[in-house]
Amino acid sequence: MIFTETKRYYVERRVVDRMTVTGTTGFEPYFARLRADMDGEIEQFVNTFTINETYFYREEHQLTCLTSELLADRLKTKPRGQPIRIWSVPCSTGEEPYSIALWLLENWQHVDEHDIEIVGSDIDTDAIASARAGVYGKRALMRLPRPVVDRYFVPTGVDTWQIVSDLRDSVHFTRVNIVDRVETRAHGQFDVIFCRNVLIYFDDLSRRTAAENLFENLYPGGFICLGHTESMSRISPLFDVAWFADAIVYRRPSR
Amino acid sequence: MVNDTPKRVLVIDDASLVRRYYRTALESAGFEVAEALNGLEALEHLLGGHFDLLIVDVNMPQMDGVSFLQTLRAKSLPVGSMPALVISSETAPKRIAAANAAGANFYIVKPLRPEALVEYASLLCGVRHG
Amino acid sequence: MPLIRKPPSAADEKSTASESAVLDALARGNDDERWAAARVAADFPDSVPAIADALRRERSAVVRKALFSALARIASPQSVEAVLPFLRSDDALARTEACDTLIAMKEAAWPSVAALLRDPDADVRILACSLARDMPRDSAVSLCCELLDSEPEINVCAGAVEVLAEIGEAAALPALERCAQRFGDAPFLAFSIQMAIDRVRSQPSVSRA
Repeated sequence: MIFTETKRYYVERRVVDRMTVTGTTGFEPYFARLRADMDGEIEQFVNTFTINETYFYREEHQLTCLTSELLADRLKTKPRGQPIRIWSVPCSTGEEPYSIALWLLENWQHVDEHDIEIVGSDIDTDAIASARAGVYGKRALMRLPRPVVDRYFVPTGVDTWQIVSDLRDSVHFTRVNIVDRVETRAHGQFDVIFCRNVLIYFDDLSRRTAAENLFENLYPGGFICLGHTESMSRISPLFDVAWFADAIVYRRPSR
Repeated sequence: MVNDTPKRVLVIDDASLVRRYYRTALESAGFEVAEALNGLEALEHLLGGHFDLLIVDVNMPQMDGVSFLQTLRAKSLPVGSMPALVISSETAPKRIAAANAAGANFYIVKPLRPEALVEYASLLCGVRHG
Repeated sequence: MPLIRKPPSAADEKSTASESAVLDALARGNDDERWAAARVAADFPDSVPAIADALRRERSAVVRKALFSALARIASPQSVEAVLPFLRSDDALARTEACDTLIAMKEAAWPSVAALLRDPDADVRILACSLARDMPRDSAVSLCCELLDSEPEINVCAGAVEVLAEIGEAAALPALERCAQRFGDAPFLAFSIQMAIDRVRSQPSVSRA
């Protein structure tokens, strides 16, 4: 993170916010709290600075990698007729799984030749309800080309759009806690999993468990994509590193 | 340094002070240095960029140096044949043999003086494995 | 539309396995069966000896990770005991996994750290420094300072210095300085200690709220 002088006010406001919330009465006590990571203060502090923004076509380079490399690779070894399965977890309010659907329809030349299942899952049931409703504001759609918005969204109010029912019906949303082996396992195996910006927030043991769960949810040779600032090097050595022109992704070893 | 383009070294060690020590010595001698804190992070760097030499510690979290070398040597050229200098605290012959079997070009016991590091690095930057 | 929606089919294997089935799979199962057993073994804390046995024989790197995870989840004194011998393994991967597992076990592993820092094997003492780092700060600092006053091996001292560079406070400065005196002509250690002293000194003095 780089802060220039113009952002100093922004930083000060955030620190004062945290001090108020934690009831610390001066900078030194707050700093001590931060250094000791009391009550997970580091994460809280980080969260106030990084808005976990979600919008359509976020991290487009991974979507590019999906259609230019990953799917072709999967199709080399998949049994004929087996649907391509893609998982977006956590899916939050649905931007990511719907983005995958839109991207495939718009950018994958073989999209009509295969059955594709897209599943979106989150621990937050309110987020899932929102995802199913499929209504979004201007900010969420800002990266979408105009023709894509026109083709797949219907205006529902001032600056709100709803994704067309065909697409809402084509993504299956579920609730899941990826640290829970049974819940996670019930989702079956996938060709590609997008699991962005969540594993880093877990403690060591939960992270190990979640990584092992997701490993099981991949077909051998299947791929998992993390957030662009994340790396498996702190998470789990279970996966192989796969470097592509557009992205580093991780792969469950093939048999 | 005889060549015009600086040689690039990837230092793989989980100890920040070790990485800093090697960086100081190597940069003073004209090398370019990148860092990784375990074998997995090293693979991430390596598959996407060019390096002339790897300096590899053995005991690191998530992926140790020996496993890293085995994975590396299984890859095709040129990445798979990159020179690797293992610098480890371990002196037991079995441990040294394991590192060599995994694909170390050279094994040195820590700690080493900055001049020695530069000498080995310069030597190995002209050598290909295998 | 090529996009199809299907609810995931219900898990077709039993989600609860019996302890005896798990023990059996650990001892006699194929790779997939041992993996599945390792993933649920933590539900049966008494299975620690069977997990340890399986670990000693295990050839699959993936299954081995799951076995260590099981011990990490159980996090009992018995499971800590089961992990410790792997710190001495000739297999680098096993040493790394054992260390990672002990770190994940947190409090359960902490009582072992002081003894590991005095282990006759210098390489074990070095690994123990990584374990000390995740202990409560005061304990970690005091163990590392104690080590610096009596440790004969430079690389072990370096391990403790690395920890103090990260979490050290003013109280660690005397021990760091004494160690620098003891190993005056070792350039790496002198460099590390100076870095650590600089880092400790640059921290604002913090009063506990």
